[in-house]
Amino acid sequence: MLENLSITEKQILERLKTIPDPEVEVNIVDLGLIYEIHHNEDEKSIHIIMTLSARGCPVGDTIMQHVETVVKAFLPEYDVKVELTWEPQWTPEMITPDGKAQLNM
Amino acid sequence: MQAGLSTKNAPSPSVVLPHYAAGAIFFIIASVLLIFASHDLANTYIGPKILGLTHIMVLGWVTIIIFGALYQLIPVVMEVKLFSEPLAHISFYSIVVGTVLLSYSFWNNYIGKTIYMEIGGGLIFLSVILFAVNVLFSALKTTNKTIENTFIVTAAGWLFLTVSIGILITVNLVFHFIPKTSLELLRIHVHFGIAGWFMMLIIGVASTLLPMFFISHKLNKQYLKLSYFLTNSGLIILAVLMYFDVNMWLKGSAGLILLAGIIFFIKYNYDAYKKRLRKKLDIGMKLSVFAFIPLFLTLLFGILAVLNLDFLSKIQTSINTAYGVSLIFGFFTALILGQMYKTLPFIVWLKMYQDKVGKYKIPMPAHIYSEKVADWHYYSFLVAIFTLLIGIFAKESIIIQISAAAFIVTSVLYAYNTYKILFHKDQSELLETK
Repeated sequence: MLENLSITEKQILERLKTIPDPEVEVNIVDLGLIYEIHHNEDEKSIHIIMTLSARGCPVGDTIMQHVETVVKAFLPEYDVKVELTWEPQWTPEMITPDGKAQLNM
Repeated sequence: MQAGLSTKNAPSPSVVLPHYAAGAIFFIIASVLLIFASHDLANTYIGPKILGLTHIMVLGWVTIIIFGALYQLIPVVMEVKLFSEPLAHISFYSIVVGTVLLSYSFWNNYIGKTIYMEIGGGLIFLSVILFAVNVLFSALKTTNKTIENTFIVTAAGWLFLTVSIGILITVNLVFHFIPKTSLELLRIHVHFGIAGWFMMLIIGVASTLLPMFFISHKLNKQYLKLSYFLTNSGLIILAVLMYFDVNMWLKGSAGLILLAGIIFFIKYNYDAYKKRLRKKLDIGMKLSVFAFIPLFLTLLFGILAVLNLDFLSKIQTSINTAYGVSLIFGFFTALILGQMYKTLPFIVWLKMYQDKVGKYKIPMPAHIYSEKVADWHYYSFLVAIFTLLIGIFAKESIIIQISAAAFIVTSVLYAYNTYKILFHKDQSELLETK
């Protein structure tokens, strides 16, 4: 998961916090939708593994496209791959304390 | 794209949006007609004006919006493309014209072998067949065979039966080949339509959407499976008992099986509500949650309507009327008013902004309609539905007219927001690049 991130990976994570889930209006990082970020300097590639709060989410690939656009804008010379996974399935326990505060949980 | 993503399967907005546009207009028409049907509604549950009004409500308002919402939702929940968009277009025009003709002929008591009824009924039959074909053939392609999807497919089957019996009633008026009165067949037609088509569909759709919008997890799907078994078996038994006119206690027992099925559906969604992440409900969810109050009233009046108890004989007509009214004007209407805000803004938002996310400053889906207007029609709707029920039990047409005025306010405000969303202009601003 999001542990031992490099400086670049942490910067990517910060930028992903600008992307809201249009339904709950909490950003996708604090919602716990970003599972992994891999930055490969040699291959000039960024690989992000993420999920969605519900299977069949109507704005699913809009969110993923948003992720790709934001990362590309930050690191234009890199190849960005955004991968969707349902394993593990997202649960509310994955929401960060900041996200929980925004949701009044 | 990755497996499980459904947005790429979404149909063209031109398939979905006209349904919302037309539904809003039919709701205004029905609200205005309620004024003219008030005297009839105060005294009976059947008659030309009531039949006309009912068909505008259930076909023009509820069914048309459900058709549109399903064309959007089927690709989402079944993770497949809609089987055919041209069929959906034909189905739409067919049901709009059919609803106008059929309701007009009911309202004016042109029942039986009249040109309006024949063409209107035929067009609705065509529309329903095309819709059912679209649902069934889309469902055949899905690998996502959930209980919610099974409800939706089963509902399409019940709709086909409902309309078939409707046609049978009008044909039988002329040829008399079934030894049953229209009223006896009408009861089966109404129950297939209400419990088979609308309830199955709403159970399937609501159990998909409500937990998704509540963001609720770890729900017990066994409740939905039980609900499926009980609602379907209860309805089949009830229809057979109604056809052979077996005594009311047996019919009541079949009704109880059906009721148990609906209670399991309520339980499933109540759990979703309790486990919801977002404690504060937006207007769409507030209306959707409120819908369960008229649903409870429907179940109560439905039981009393079937039992036909002696000590309630003086208000039996009002009970029968309130049964239909609390379902159509209450439950269905509240759910549609609410779920419009959870679906239409997203559809329009996706169409307008999905290629602009991250590059432009764009509004959120909730910002493309007036929340204040939605709040107003939430309150006007509460006034409208409760006043209507009071008017029916008081048998006072003036109270029903007051309710109609509140319904007109509700429908006009709702249409204002619907059209505000439909005609939303691009508000994106290019983000500054660093």
